[in-house]
Amino acid sequence: MTNPQEIATKAEFLAHAFALEQESVDRYEELADAMDTHNNLEVAGLFRKMAEFGRKHAVEVERLAAGSDLPTLEPWDFKWADDEGPETGDYADIDYMMTPVQALQFALANEKRSRDFYGLVASHSPNQTVRELAGEFTQEEAEHVTLLERWIARHDSDTTIADDLDPPNIVD
Amino acid sequence: MALIGSGGAGVVTVGNLLLEAAAVDGSYGLMRRSAGPQIRGGESAALLRFADTPVEYAGDYYQLLIAFDWRHAERFIDEIRLAASSCVLHDPAGGDVPEPIVHTGARLIPIEMQTQAREIECGRANMIALGLVSSITGLKLETISSTVSRSLSAKGENVIAGACACLERGANMGQSLGIELPLPIAHVGTEDRWTITGNQACGLGALKGGVRFVAGYPITPASEMLEWLAPRLAKMGGCLIQAEDELASVNMILGASYGGVPAMTVTSGPGLALMTEGIGLAVASETPIVVIDVMRGGPSTGIPTKSEQTDLNIALYGMHGEAPHVVVAPVSIPDSVFTTQWAVHLAESLQTAVIVLSDQQLAQSRMVVNRPPDIGFVTRRVTAQAGVENYRRYALRADGVSAMAIPGTIGVNYTADGLEHDERGTPSTGSHDHLRQLNKRATKLTGFDYGDHWADIEGDGTIAVVTWGSCTGAVKEAIRRVGEQGVPVRLIALRLLAPLCKQQLNQALEGVERVLVVEQTFSRQFYHYLRSQVDLPKFTESLARPGPLPLAASEISAMLLVDGA
Amino acid sequence: MNPLSDKIEPKDYKSDVKPVWCPGCGDFGVLNAITKALASLRLAPEQVALISGIGCSSRVPAYTNVYGFHGIHGRALALGAGLKAARPDLHIVVAGGDGDGFSIGGNHFLHACRRNMDMTYIVMDNEVYGMTKGQASPTTAPDWTESELTPSGTHARPFQPAAIALAAGATFIARAFSGKPNTLAQMVVLAMQHPGFAFIQVLSPCPTFRPEQKEWKNIVRPFAVDALPTSDPALAALHCQRDDGMSTGVIYVEARPVWKRSDMQEIAIDDIEQEFRI
Repeated sequence: MTNPQEIATKAEFLAHAFALEQESVDRYEELADAMDTHNNLEVAGLFRKMAEFGRKHAVEVERLAAGSDLPTLEPWDFKWADDEGPETGDYADIDYMMTPVQALQFALANEKRSRDFYGLVASHSPNQTVRELAGEFTQEEAEHVTLLERWIARHDSDTTIADDLDPPNIVD
Repeated sequence: MALIGSGGAGVVTVGNLLLEAAAVDGSYGLMRRSAGPQIRGGESAALLRFADTPVEYAGDYYQLLIAFDWRHAERFIDEIRLAASSCVLHDPAGGDVPEPIVHTGARLIPIEMQTQAREIECGRANMIALGLVSSITGLKLETISSTVSRSLSAKGENVIAGACACLERGANMGQSLGIELPLPIAHVGTEDRWTITGNQACGLGALKGGVRFVAGYPITPASEMLEWLAPRLAKMGGCLIQAEDELASVNMILGASYGGVPAMTVTSGPGLALMTEGIGLAVASETPIVVIDVMRGGPSTGIPTKSEQTDLNIALYGMHGEAPHVVVAPVSIPDSVFTTQWAVHLAESLQTAVIVLSDQQLAQSRMVVNRPPDIGFVTRRVTAQAGVENYRRYALRADGVSAMAIPGTIGVNYTADGLEHDERGTPSTGSHDHLRQLNKRATKLTGFDYGDHWADIEGDGTIAVVTWGSCTGAVKEAIRRVGEQGVPVRLIALRLLAPLCKQQLNQALEGVERVLVVEQTFSRQFYHYLRSQVDLPKFTESLARPGPLPLAASEISAMLLVDGA
Repeated sequence: MNPLSDKIEPKDYKSDVKPVWCPGCGDFGVLNAITKALASLRLAPEQVALISGIGCSSRVPAYTNVYGFHGIHGRALALGAGLKAARPDLHIVVAGGDGDGFSIGGNHFLHACRRNMDMTYIVMDNEVYGMTKGQASPTTAPDWTESELTPSGTHARPFQPAAIALAAGATFIARAFSGKPNTLAQMVVLAMQHPGFAFIQVLSPCPTFRPEQKEWKNIVRPFAVDALPTSDPALAALHCQRDDGMSTGVIYVEARPVWKRSDMQEIAIDDIEQEFRI
């Protein structure tokens, strides 16, 4: 773990790329559902949109992987820069009343981590094909970063969470 | 006859041997036990009655009392009623005869049992007493000797020889007393007769019903049933766990039953109180369980060693929220087999909690019975088949019983829940789901056909006694006696206490003008329960007394013979 | 056939029921770790039962598609023990919170450790009662004064889950952080593969009542000792007691005979009836 530079085959690289997108999709969907449940529909919509992007990228990776036998990696066997996938974010950055711009910042952090992950592979993999492919992916993630930064700039930069007028509920 | 003594006098041993030997000789009998609170050395009594038909009632009074000593006799002397015609054989070494005994006018015969026993190697006073009983009752000495030899076989030849010598000595001493109380003998073969306690009978019924998992926490007077079940369950491929407390017991059986294995726990009042939340979960999650409560004196720790019927209310109403469940009670020791087996059948068929109310008197008494008949229930839990489309665990159906998926079954995975839920089992706070599921859980019980098992009904007449549980024996005896005096009385002994079969009860009471409700409680729980559920005749009386004093047939018959009008 | 889409995925173990957990709740991470572990173990969903009590974290069974039982407060371990005893073939995971497991269910925790049945117990510890609106739990610091119920704190020493599990006889003891689902998934796999009672205390932040726990991600770290995991209870105790409760990793693993039911089939009911004959 924590050694992206050791990714040495195309199949291993694509397995990482696919898992990265798949985990991204799953996490955004989970967050979107949670925001739906807690009546933050605007942020739910944003997360849903992010999940949609992830899904498209996953299809692209699948297309690249067609015909090759990808290794099955256990969650703890991936060579991410950290223990967790780059686009799963951090639960600690989530709040039920978070603003859209905070949601975009959450997504931005994810994209930056992806870009950096691919960057490490691109510059350090012992395999030329992997380095080239990773370079393309780095480029793509960098574009996402730029895009998100642009969105964030366009958005109202308010990152203060409004006062919660409803106290927490007693359930069971 | 009654045998009392303390501190290792061995009265319970004598009682058991006597019952067994009498059974071999063709007599029916019943032995009750009454004990003090001590673990060792405390006062105890073996209370026996013999007859030529099965004995379900201990008798109004004792014709023969054998007292090894009188220590702490005041604690249970009022449970041992004597008549002026009774004989009291007492060992002078055991002290003076207490005043209340003298007052009965019974014939007092001092007889040296301890001194005599000391003269014999390995001699024991209780074996002298057994010899005395042999000569007084005509019970064959050979039968007693072989019963004694069998039970002492592990103790060595000297002990057996000493015991047999004592038996003979006692028998010789008895001949000079001039007391004759011949043992009633039933003139048919004994091959289909058993000796069994109520605790064993409940255990057997559970096994016959298919129970293969039991969890329990030791408690008087129910522990013996757990102890009886543990090795037998293991040998039958089942399992018993001694849990850390009753909260664990009831939840363990819920887990086992959720896994598809019929499961049961056994406890007494204090344990039942701890289990009520878990029983509510069984009702809400529709997980079949059987809970046996061997009732004892309450409230709180109460009188653990003695009998009472006072857990009726908690069994009926103990659960929070509205948690319809089934409450049944055996009406006799042999009926404990059937009623417990039926309880398992009902729990499995209805996917609910069934509470069986036994009590100390039934549970710890040993009785010579005709082998209870085999009843074959087609006990089958309605389960979900693999891969059913759109499986809904709590689907609404006409009979209220929905298919339960057993873990391991493919494609019908679900989460059982104590939260109110929709048909799928998903938690729901909506009024519509709550109403539907409440209705489902209620109708599956009220719509079920309980057949004739809901009560034992005997006799005719315009007077009826409505009773339940261990009181039934005394009531039957009372009805027999007043019948002999030309007053026919109907017996309605409820086996199914909840849900109450109101229509059937009303039918059973047709033509009845006067009802006597008999129970062993202080606050008339059964009487009030019946009153709240059905329109009883205007002349409905209550005969209720708390434990530990058992109800006497004479009191019941006296009430029946009073002109109620 | 597409090599990527016929794999067993963690989401194959999720149901379509949406969690009631607050966004940002650590329990999401635990749910993900459990489903990842089940996928790694390639267990058929119908061979797994997830048992819980009451509390936020105890809602977890309904969010999976394995067999589940959402029981009553504090009794999940007993429910799981009964199921395991009756159905040794099933894989049992019991899950819940710190209040459920260490307060109302504390007795069952001790005895489950002693009994050493083959099951995994995951406690999502956020040092607070979330579902009842933020009261102190057994693991809450004594000087925490945010609850109206204990305005001057509990003045009670926090429950030490790992040390108590060790003393009570658990044969697999670990601590993890919900913010690291992949690491936790591996721990759940090890726990489920461990023959006997495996206990994982998961530090799982409550963003609503303990927002300061968002800092946990910067505080938790793996145990900085090579000695762990150990099979020496004295050594395990030493490290449990020296630690501030924020170090993660497998602490203790012991090979001890697992609770086992007899599987005799020696007698039938008729044989039992014989003993009553005169």
